[in-house]
This record gives sequence, structure tokens and C-alpha cells, in this order.
Amino acid sequence: MNVRARTAAFDPETTAIAGVVGGLAALTVLAFVTGVVNPAYAAGLFCLSALVGVLTRQGPTMKVLLGLAALSTVLVLGLIMVYLFVKAWPVLEKMGPDLLVKTSEPLWDTSGHVYSLTPMIWGTVVTTGIAVAVAGPLGLAGAVFISEIAPGWAREIIKPAVEVLAGIPSIVYGFLGFMVLNPFMMYELSVPQNGTLLIAGLVIGVMALPTVVSVAEDALAAVPEEMKSGSLALGSTDWQTTTAVTIPAALSGISAAVLLGVGRAVGETMAAVIILANVTEFPVPGFNVFDSTVSLTSLIASQYGNASGMHLSALFAAGVVLFVTVMLLSVGSQLIERHMERKLGGNQ
Amino acid sequence: MSADTMTGTLVRSESTTIERLGAVLTALAALTIALSILGLFVIVPVSTTVAGVAVSRLLGAGLLAVGLGVMAAGVGSQWGPLDADPNRHGSPTDGVLVGLVWLATAGLVAAHVAGTPLWPLIAVVFGGLAAAGATFSQEDIGVPLIGGGFVAFAGGVLATGTIGPGWQFAPAGFSVTLTGTVGAPLIAFGGGLLGVWIAARVAGGFGARGRQNGAYGLIGANALGMLSLLLALVGFIVSKGIGPATEGIRYGLFWQPQFWFEAPIIDEYVIVHGPELWFHWPFVMNGYTQLSDAINGVLPAIVGTVWLVIGTVVFAVPLGIGAAVFLTEYAEQGRFTSLIEIATNGLWSTPSIVFGLFGLAFLVPRLGNTPSLLAGQLVLAFMLLPVVVITTREALLAVPDEYRDASAALGVSKWETIRSVVLPAAMPGIITGVILGVGRIAGETAPILLVLGSQPFPRDAPEIFSLTGGFPFVELNLVQPASALPYQLYAVISGGVGDDAAFAWGTAFVLLLVVLSFYAIGIASRAFFRRKLDQ
Repeated sequence: MNVRARTAAFDPETTAIAGVVGGLAALTVLAFVTGVVNPAYAAGLFCLSALVGVLTRQGPTMKVLLGLAALSTVLVLGLIMVYLFVKAWPVLEKMGPDLLVKTSEPLWDTSGHVYSLTPMIWGTVVTTGIAVAVAGPLGLAGAVFISEIAPGWAREIIKPAVEVLAGIPSIVYGFLGFMVLNPFMMYELSVPQNGTLLIAGLVIGVMALPTVVSVAEDALAAVPEEMKSGSLALGSTDWQTTTAVTIPAALSGISAAVLLGVGRAVGETMAAVIILANVTEFPVPGFNVFDSTVSLTSLIASQYGNASGMHLSALFAAGVVLFVTVMLLSVGSQLIERHMERKLGGNQ
Repeated sequence: MSADTMTGTLVRSESTTIERLGAVLTALAALTIALSILGLFVIVPVSTTVAGVAVSRLLGAGLLAVGLGVMAAGVGSQWGPLDADPNRHGSPTDGVLVGLVWLATAGLVAAHVAGTPLWPLIAVVFGGLAAAGATFSQEDIGVPLIGGGFVAFAGGVLATGTIGPGWQFAPAGFSVTLTGTVGAPLIAFGGGLLGVWIAARVAGGFGARGRQNGAYGLIGANALGMLSLLLALVGFIVSKGIGPATEGIRYGLFWQPQFWFEAPIIDEYVIVHGPELWFHWPFVMNGYTQLSDAINGVLPAIVGTVWLVIGTVVFAVPLGIGAAVFLTEYAEQGRFTSLIEIATNGLWSTPSIVFGLFGLAFLVPRLGNTPSLLAGQLVLAFMLLPVVVITTREALLAVPDEYRDASAALGVSKWETIRSVVLPAAMPGIITGVILGVGRIAGETAPILLVLGSQPFPRDAPEIFSLTGGFPFVELNLVQPASALPYQLYAVISGGVGDDAAFAWGTAFVLLLVVLSFYAIGIASRAFFRRKLDQ
């Protein structure tokens, strides 16, 4: 696009309205963030200008307002990022890299102000690993069933069922794990404490399952029908077509699905905090999935109540680790999905 | 050749012996799996006896039959009369699966039964041999004999009682003791899955059709499993929670004084009686009173959840729809749109507890420095925002471009087109997406944990509206602590459930009812709109 076309996209009228309405919106946000001026006044002015704009010049004003709505997503994400880092800064400054690598005792001492996130990171890694081992293969199989195998009536049942499975609140999953599976482990398998990494991982896996199913199913459904027909015309069976054509073509979408599932599993809070015992120590030995520890999410949820000062800052540091991990996974899966669109889109 | 015999050779209408054998074996293996799940959750403990035989032995017998059956089918296909169509050799997947199963079995047996320190070597040798055998020998030999051999072996171990109710095993390094109660069903479950896979292959007469059968058998079992899991979860909550949640419901039709007035002449009160329907549902209509004779209820939490949902929708839906309209209808594909897309997807995957931390650090200090309903609404709105953007975008993209072109050809301006053509056409999709998103939000706990309130069991519902003397006479008071259903459930659990178990199950039931109603409405409305579009 050349410069003229670019300026033509924003005619002077729109630019003027954008200046006034957008400026007032920015002022409102600024007033709310800094607290210098009562944001209500700025918000009032913003509403007034928007109202006047809508009444007199509806088209351009709506364009500006919609653009502001679109910007709000960036604003919220930016604010989250800034406030997490600002609040986590004191403990980052105090502990330095030890926060992420210190594995010797003391690991977490709120009175001595020693904070190491390694047990929590390990807890998150183990539960996420178990969860992905459950949700990955089963989710892919579910997606193949919905998109390739199921007759119409079965699809009508299983698709909403997967949605509902995603809709059951995490606290209810956790409650079931706490009331049913934890006692099961203690009474039937003589596990010495309440709450095991294995149960937490399995429950989180079931919770991440719908994400994997629906995203992978979208990827499989996006494979052009011509590719499948070509394979079937050569005399291969449906299953040969699925394994040799459909799944390889959708592979990037499927890996994006698994990545998103990993993201869900990493960020899952309530099931972890209820099921795990939330002790800030490593399991003994490290690979013992029948021992209990704490995960990044359950650390925050179980300790926010009595935290203040440096302790609270350490909880925010856990939030930062979570946020950065999940953001990397999200961006990674988007890059993969874009790659897939380019590959399958062909000459579009 | 007559037409009849031709179709007869092209499409076999009658099932052959091997198909019938395979179908029977598949059904038997599926039955074993079902029984093993009942055993695993101690609904039918493996120590129970049926007609004098312990369930664990029954499971073993089932596996043994399946294993021997598929072995016989393999032998029959290779050297006997069974009419099958096997490939020249197995696939790498066959080799990996069968190899791994034998690797684990040989390793465990060598280490814990024979007790030899050479167990890794033995495991690798057995696993490698099994994998090579399954991969390189003819398909109706490798998979049925080596894979089916494992099924038969597992069945034999269970059927002879070697692993039964009294069996115990504590693996070194793990703080767990595997007992027969759990171990036997686990073995039966794994063996049963392998059995389904091989038996379904037999039913397809091996070859490409057999492989498809085997894979579809497992995938179908997985789908069935997901469905049963959902039914089991919901059914369990309902069965546990419906009792406490519906305790003490009273209703009836009463003949009661409706209104009265003073008659001027006779100077007496005239009381007019009328019928009145009376209904009281204590669990839903009471607060948490802690009186010994009253039923503790969840009314304040329900009111809190309702207000959270209303506020969330008011904040997030216009913003989200606006953003999606801008992205789809106005913006050129470029850096700006991809920035917003990244931000939207980033918000979608941000962990809920991080939203809570953000609310604690950013919103609470700016909203009266107290946990409040408003902070909860805003935090949940930030969570709902990306869902609204994503679903609205999908709905908008599904509106055909012809609609826009037709409107533009009539000289209608862009915004008018969006308002009167595009948005109405996309509305069903948007509404459905928002309803489903709200259902999810209504059950969220982690974000509101940090910002909503400090007293999870209020006695009374929050008073949102208060009357004032001046204009506008009603004040909306959102900056006050509140409770919500999921928050209350968490508080019961983290306080040690103890005597409150019934209350917790009841709360979980009501919460599930609320969330699933949203889902039911959302899914039903989507089906309705879709049917309408198809007409």
C-alpha cells in the first residue's frame, strides 16, 4: 500500500474524530491507572464525545469506537504483563537467578525470605507431563473419531459432549478428585498422604482433553476434501487415507492443538490446588508421582491469603513464570497454525 | 459368470467364519474392559465371587479366551481353513506396540519375580524379539500370536490367581503399594484394550481392512469412554448432591388472607381470602445461618454468581463484538491486526489465576481498596473478552460476502451495512458463542478467589440496589464483597470438608446445574438456528 492509499483509508474527518474520542479514551485509562484525576470525569467526557459523534457522524465515529474496542485486548494484555512484572520485581531483585535454579534447602522460607520456585516448576512439569500423556493421544483419537469416522448421529452426540466436558467447572473436577480419587489412592493403594501428583495430572489431563479434541478436529476438518478423495480413488481404505494423508496434512494443526492443551494444563489451578497437598518441597524421590508437591498455580491459590510484602512478590513471580510459559506456547501454536494455513491454502 | 455370482464375489454379503469369530472375540474383550473398570473403582471388587469364582479369575478367563481365540484365528488363517487376507508382514506400529508390551512384561517379571539384576537386558531382548516378530513375520502370525500371546499370558496370570485379591506389590522408589484389588483390573484393562485391537483386526480378516477395523475399534472405544466419563461425572455429582440440595422443599396451595380494608358503613375490617401458592426451597432460598435447626443455603452465592455473570456480559460483550467487527470488517490484514490477534489468543490462554493476580495488583487498589463484586466482574470480563472476540470473528467470517456486496451495491454505507446486514446475519453464531463462554465463566473460581471477598459464607445476599433520597433514587452498589457458588465450594473444601460434605455436594450440584443450563441453552439454540438456516 502506498502512502496515498494509506491516508485515503483514514480520511481527515475520521482522523479528527479518532483524535478527540481516542484521546479522551486514553485519558480515561490514564486517569484510572495513575489515579491522579478521578477517572469518572474523563470517562464522562469520553462518553459525551462518543455520543455526539454517533449522533452527528455515525459511520466514522463507529469505526473509531470499534477500533478502540479492538485495542482494548492489547491494552488488557499489556497491563497484565506490566503489573505482574512490577509486582514480581522485588523478589527477582532479591533472589536473582536463584529464584529459578536453587534446588538446595531452604527452598521456600517465608520468615527468612528465601524463595525458590524450583519445586513448583517441577510440580507443574510433572503434572503437565502426565496430563499431556493423557490428553494428547486420547484427544487426537477423539478428533479423528469426530472428523473422520463418526456417522452423523454419533457426531451430533459426541461433539456437544466434548463441549460440556470442557464446561464442567474446574472446581467440580477438583472436588471429585479430592472426595473420590484421593481417598481411593490412600485406602486402596496405601499412599501415605492426601493428594498425589498422579491424580492431579490425570484430572488435569481430562480437563485439557476437550481443548485438544476441538482444536485438532478443526485442523483435520481443514484438510481439503480433494486430498482425501484422491487417496480414496487410489483404492486405499479410509484408515489408510487418515494415517497417510489427513493426519500428515493436518500435523501442524494437531501439534498446535497439543501445545494449546499443554497451555491449559500448565495454567489449570483449582484442580491442582484442591488435589495436591501444596507442600513446598520436592517429591521424594523426584520421579515419585505418588508423592505430593505444589505447582505454580496451586502455590498462588493456596498462599495468597496470608501473603504480603516479599512473600506476595514471590507469588507474583510464580505468576510471571506461568504467564511467560503460556504466552510462548500460545505464540508458538499460532506460528504453527499460520504455517499450516500457508501450506494448505495453496494458491489462495 | 452370472450377475449374482459377480456381486457375490465383489461384495461378500454373508459374514465368513473368521469375521464371526473376530466379532465374538471383540465383544468378549470389550466386556472384559467394562468389568475391569467396575473392578477398578471397586464397584464390583475383584474379590467378589460370582457363582463361586472370584471376579479377578473371571477377568482372567475372559482375557485367556480372547488371547487363545485370536491365536487360533491367526493359525487358522495361516495354515487352516480360515479365509483371510493378511499382509506379507506387520506394520512398524504393530512392532512398537507389541514390543513395548513385552518389554514391560519381561522387565517386571525378571526384576520382581525372578529377582535377577540382569532385568534390563532380559526386557530389551524380549521386547526386541517381540517387536521384530510382529513387524517382519506375516501379519496373521506376528500380531495374533505374539500380541495375542500377551493377552493370553495376562489372562493366565489372573485366571490362575497368581495375581488376585491377596496380591501386593510395592515398586521401589514409589510410595505406593499396588494391591490385587487395583492391580488385577488394571492388567485386565490393558490386556482387554490390546485384545479389542487384535480381535477387531481378526474380524476384518487382517490386511488393510483388518487394520482399519482394529484402529476404529480403539478409537471408537475412546469416544465411548469420553461419553461415559461425562455421564459418570455428571451422574455422580447429581446422585450425591440432589439429596442435600433438595432437602426440605415445601410447597402447597393455601387459602390465605389476600387483602383487607375497613368497610366504611359497618366499620369493620373486611378480609378477602384467596388461594396462594407457597413454595420454599431452603437450600436455594436460605443464607448460611449456622443455626442448628435451619438448613444452610446458598442464596447469597447464587445472587453473587448472577451479578458476576451480568456484569461480565455487560463489560465484555460489547467490547468483544466491537473488536471482532473492527478486525473482520474494517482493518486491513497487517501488523495491527496480527498484534490484536496475538493479544486475543494470548488472553485466551492466560491462566485464570494470573487474571486473579492482575485483579489483586491492579483493580482492587483502584476500586475502593477492598475485594469487591465489581473487581470480580471486571476480571471475569477480561477472561470472557477473548472468547467473545474469537467466536464473533468466526460468525462474521461465515457471513457470505454477497450480503455485503449486495448492500454496498444499493449505496448503503459501510457502517449501515454492518449494522443492518452483517451483524443480524452473524447474530445466531455470536449469541451461541457468548452463552457457551458465559457458562464457562460462571464456574470460574481462580480469578475471583483473589478479588471477590473474604467471607465465603455470607448470611445474607448482597444488597446491590439501595434507595437514595435524590435522583436517580436507586444506587447501584457494586463495590462490596460478595460470594459466588464456585468460591463457596472452594471454601468448603479448603476448610476441610468434614461435616459439611453434604453442603459441599449440594453446592457442587447447584453450580453444575447453573453451568450446564447455560450449555444446554447454548447448544440447543445453535441446533435451532442451524436447522432454521438449512430450511
